[in-house]
Amino acid sequence: MFVLPVLVLSANANAQSDPTGESPATRTYAITNATIVQAPGKVLEEATIVISEGLITSVGKNVSVPAYAEIIDGTDMYVYAAFIDGMSYTGAKRPEQMERPNNLFTPDPPNDYAGITPEIQVIEQVEADESSIESLRKAGFAISHTVPYGRMLPGSGALLLLKEATHPDEIAFKNNVSMYTQFVGAPGAYPGNTLGIMAKFRNLYTNAEYSRNHALSYQKDPAGMARPARDRTLEAFYPVVAKEKPVFYNASTALTARRAMRLQRDLGFNLVLGNLQQGWELADEIKNTNTKVFMSLELPKEPKESKDKDKSDEVKQLEERRAEFYKKYLTQFADLKNAGITYGFSTIDIRGNDVKKNLQTLIENGLTEDDVLAALTTNAASILGIDKVAGTLEKGKLGNLIVTKGAYFDDDSQIKYSFVDGDKLEYDTKGKAKKGENNGTSTYSDIIGSWAYAFTTPQGEETGKMVFSLSEGILEGVMISDSGSPDNDMFNLSYLNNELSFDFNVDAGGQSLNIVVVGTVTGDEYEAEASIAAFDMSFPILATKEAPEQ
Amino acid sequence: MKKLMNHFFIATLIMMTALSVQAQQKKGDVLIKNGTVLTITNGTLEATDVLVRNGKIDRIGKNLKTPKGVTEVDATGKFVMPGIIDAHSHIAGTSINEGTSQVTAEVTMKDVVNPYDVSIYRALAGGVTTINLMHGSANVIGGQNATLKLRWGLTNPEDLFFEGAPQTIKFALGENPTRGGRARGIQPQSRMGVEAMLRNSFNDALKYREAWDAYRADKNPKKVAPEYSLRMETLVRILEGDILVHCHSYRADEIYMLMKVFADFGIEKLTFQHANEAYKVAPELAEFGASASVFADWWAYKLEVYYSTAYNAAILTKNGVNTSINSDSGELIRHLFHEAAKTQKYGDLSDNEALALITLNPAKQLGIDNRVGSIEKGKDADIAIFDNHPLSIYAIPQMTFVDGVKYFDIENDEADQRLMVDPESTIENVQIFEADQQHRCMEGADVVNLFDLLNNK
Repeated sequence: MFVLPVLVLSANANAQSDPTGESPATRTYAITNATIVQAPGKVLEEATIVISEGLITSVGKNVSVPAYAEIIDGTDMYVYAAFIDGMSYTGAKRPEQMERPNNLFTPDPPNDYAGITPEIQVIEQVEADESSIESLRKAGFAISHTVPYGRMLPGSGALLLLKEATHPDEIAFKNNVSMYTQFVGAPGAYPGNTLGIMAKFRNLYTNAEYSRNHALSYQKDPAGMARPARDRTLEAFYPVVAKEKPVFYNASTALTARRAMRLQRDLGFNLVLGNLQQGWELADEIKNTNTKVFMSLELPKEPKESKDKDKSDEVKQLEERRAEFYKKYLTQFADLKNAGITYGFSTIDIRGNDVKKNLQTLIENGLTEDDVLAALTTNAASILGIDKVAGTLEKGKLGNLIVTKGAYFDDDSQIKYSFVDGDKLEYDTKGKAKKGENNGTSTYSDIIGSWAYAFTTPQGEETGKMVFSLSEGILEGVMISDSGSPDNDMFNLSYLNNELSFDFNVDAGGQSLNIVVVGTVTGDEYEAEASIAAFDMSFPILATKEAPEQ
Repeated sequence: MKKLMNHFFIATLIMMTALSVQAQQKKGDVLIKNGTVLTITNGTLEATDVLVRNGKIDRIGKNLKTPKGVTEVDATGKFVMPGIIDAHSHIAGTSINEGTSQVTAEVTMKDVVNPYDVSIYRALAGGVTTINLMHGSANVIGGQNATLKLRWGLTNPEDLFFEGAPQTIKFALGENPTRGGRARGIQPQSRMGVEAMLRNSFNDALKYREAWDAYRADKNPKKVAPEYSLRMETLVRILEGDILVHCHSYRADEIYMLMKVFADFGIEKLTFQHANEAYKVAPELAEFGASASVFADWWAYKLEVYYSTAYNAAILTKNGVNTSINSDSGELIRHLFHEAAKTQKYGDLSDNEALALITLNPAKQLGIDNRVGSIEKGKDADIAIFDNHPLSIYAIPQMTFVDGVKYFDIENDEADQRLMVDPESTIENVQIFEADQQHRCMEGADVVNLFDLLNNK
């Protein structure tokens, strides 16, 4: 599974000659005559920045450039501190689905089936060549707060440097920085839903408090005291109980955010709301409890009004209300900022391709470019406790920056270079990495038409058709099951660089289940993974394009 | 130590500020003039005014002067009654059952209150002001319930809590918990197993309390705390009378069984929910002091509820059992006054007895009769106004007040009451009736089957 350390080629292991010829001749770079945005609102024109051995060594107008530096002419270029993601799965690979154990005692399942594994470190799930690392880096990020896949308590998050590497340890900046948790129950076992999850969290936390006190007393003076039982699950809570480690809640809705805050108030840990999507009612509560926040960069799709000329007043009114709520999702960012809440952004529900488009939407809805930059850099750095080393372009900080052709927020700007940990990556003007595997952007005509799909569940094989079509230039899709059940429209449909992704909802006894499908199109084949977040469950889907009817 | 106390003091202060900020509930001032006031505790008062100050009933009398700044509501020709209380509801909850385990005393519906559920508004439009949001009946000892005031429009779940209401908890007997047991291959799979499970749980709780009492009394500095269990803590509180038990039940034999179990463990506060055969053991219930919360005329929807009678509520009432009529449904909750009226056809209950079934009696079952359930000076101004006598089939609710604040007015009844709209929803998906029409007692209790999920079954 892991690459042997002997084979690890580190960029700074330059004592040996490099048979591939790919390692850089120098790790000192100077970008000259550029517009350097040192921090939100702090811009240096025609300035130079020097990065050496991983760190920023000087920034300014009259900077001496070392003779051995690789010089990049920054004329017409903008340099920014690279972005910092507040919470995502970047670099982590979803572990194999754990099978339901035989004779499972549902009231008290094993911790791994219950999803109670706070002792797991996300670095154990990280693979250095995971495509999500490159994808987020191309969107301008250099650091992700990566959290593990799982259910209620998947484990600890880590700060990763989104650079090219062969071994996870090379990209680990800081392990064990957070306890990640979410309202995801175990399928058919305790805790099965929010009811059990809230109670179980309280029970674990209180037991951890007792257990920690016991361990501390024992450490001081063990003689005559029963030895503390070693319980890795409870031990993982010790730094949380001591308030040395924050709890990151994946709380996207107002209801889940309030539940997380309720637990926080009852128990007293340091809370970070990750992935908040419905924050417009929460400003006072967030402020008064000093809760830290990462807002989700996933935004709802703009609703399309019906073109029907004879639509009823009722439909008009319903469309207005829908539009009103769409607006709330967008304007809350400015409202929360004006209420004095500083937040960063999390990318757990969004793919790199959509980042810039969504940031521009936020600017159209009341945020300034500096607000957005602050959320992407300085705010995120301070919430994650790394503001001494990241978030701005200052001497001594990590060499994490992006160089863009044109100002980043301009429609036609392109990221030309990104530096992560002082290592340079160059992109061609179309925005893809030179070393990248994708060749060219994809066109919708690759997929328009009918595809036969099949996937296997433990209960048998499911088949049907996926039909993609263009409606006024917008890609639309529908799933038609062979079983005769109702058709399912696809949402969040995206096709770029041969990556085809969408989600759809199925009705499960009155409860709507969202299924996300992400995969790659190769010719007439589509190979994808479908996942149901509500159960932390995933399964493969295969589809083949059908020849058009004659 | 002083420093520690200071910290504690600061922490308490912070917490109090946080709480006071969160308490958004409004208190209203209103004068309801010249109505027929159905007080429940003091008969019917014709042409009477009810003055509400700061959310409480301040005065009841004739020709009251309107204080400055108080809104008047003309109730001439109308009927003013205490807000209806539903002792068995599953609206306004995002989850209902944690049915994966047969004892889940540690879970609480207060954690899953959904203030966005439009069923709340529909209930208000039926004159309901308070509900007992119950855990489902999939397991023997289910979760703790949430007593809620229907303050529609407030979206912080805690703003709906009936502040100061005693904690109640859901138990369940018979087919539902044994069905869950059999589906999962765990205890209980029969009625015998249900009783054993109850006795074992309480015995475990007694041992738990003993262990913690011993720990607290121990002077040894090397003492080690026993394992903490929120589940056992809750069971101990039941044994100590701090938590009121509301038990899903149908058959007379199992009702009698539970009274024997509770007598053995000294637990007194007990309400039987559904209790379709309670009429068979009405004197025994009265002697125990147990209450019953029943349907007006609904039965035969499964074997264990094959026998019942529409006279159930009347027989129980005449035998001195504190009885209420509940909805257990997002639809029935809209016309509980009709349900109460059925006891006049089946059992000849008086107007006052029939109305008490949906006001004062459920208030007693929830331990909130000092606050609501009748129109009395000093009680909360939770009031419903009807155009006809609420026991008339022609009665239509006109206005509903909680804490003196009007949350429903038929004259100002916006069609689209949603508090949260999904911007990605299709317009066609908006429907008048949603999942709330279904009975949710066993929701989430079945073992998840992926194939069914994907086939929309």
